Amino acid sequence: MRILLHGRLADGVGRQVDVDAPDPCSVGELRRLLARSYPGAAETLDRSRACIGSALVGDDFVVTPAEQVEFLPPVSGG
Amino acid sequence: MSVVALLEPQALDPQLELAELTEAARGDGAIITFIGLARPESKGGDAVDAVVLDHHDTLTRQSLEDIAVACGERFDVSHVRVVHRCGTVPAGEPIVFAGAASIHRRAAFEAVDYLMDRLKTEAVFWKREVGDGGSNWVEPTEADLADRDRWG
Repeated sequence: MRILLHGRLADGVGRQVDVDAPDPCSVGELRRLLARSYPGAAETLDRSRACIGSALVGDDFVVTPAEQVEFLPPVSGG
Repeated sequence: MSVVALLEPQALDPQLELAELTEAARGDGAIITFIGLARPESKGGDAVDAVVLDHHDTLTRQSLEDIAVACGERFDVSHVRVVHRCGTVPAGEPIVFAGAASIHRRAAFEAVDYLMDRLKTEAVFWKREVGDGGSNWVEPTEADLADRDRWG
């Protein structure tokens, strides 16, 4: 599954990352999976919101393989 | 009442934005504008060559629009105009234009103050300052958050 990352998460991990996620998989599981693979990003991941399309989703949201999950660190503002 | 909220990937021309707002504000009595510039120095005192604004394809525009619309609903203004840069903004160049027009000046002053307090804390950007020493991600300060919270 391909995940998009923004801000400082993209700095540490890359703009896109492919993870071998179980199907089905919740957003929370994805978050933990990424944190295990990239321990340096774990703290920022913990503070990040998840988004699918233009909708923010909670950790309980179950992701299908066709959906693109994005993790958004706390915003900087303008 | 009209609201314009734009994300600008190229250089932002404040004169052009003021001209657009002035054109829209025919019949009003006041136009107030704020122009934010990319600072040449970080809070820690390091030289900054550019500010880089990472954005989201849909949520960033939506956040600008939400803030501008909320401003228009809250204050007795006739026009609100927000134009915000994304991408790389060299130090000294405009990063944001926020303007409002109203029949009497007080509403426009307050509207622009509100716009900037919310933009500084809630606009969906991830911002880093780039200089000789590398790059540093920036997040809102306690003062920025306190300014935003004044509006309830």
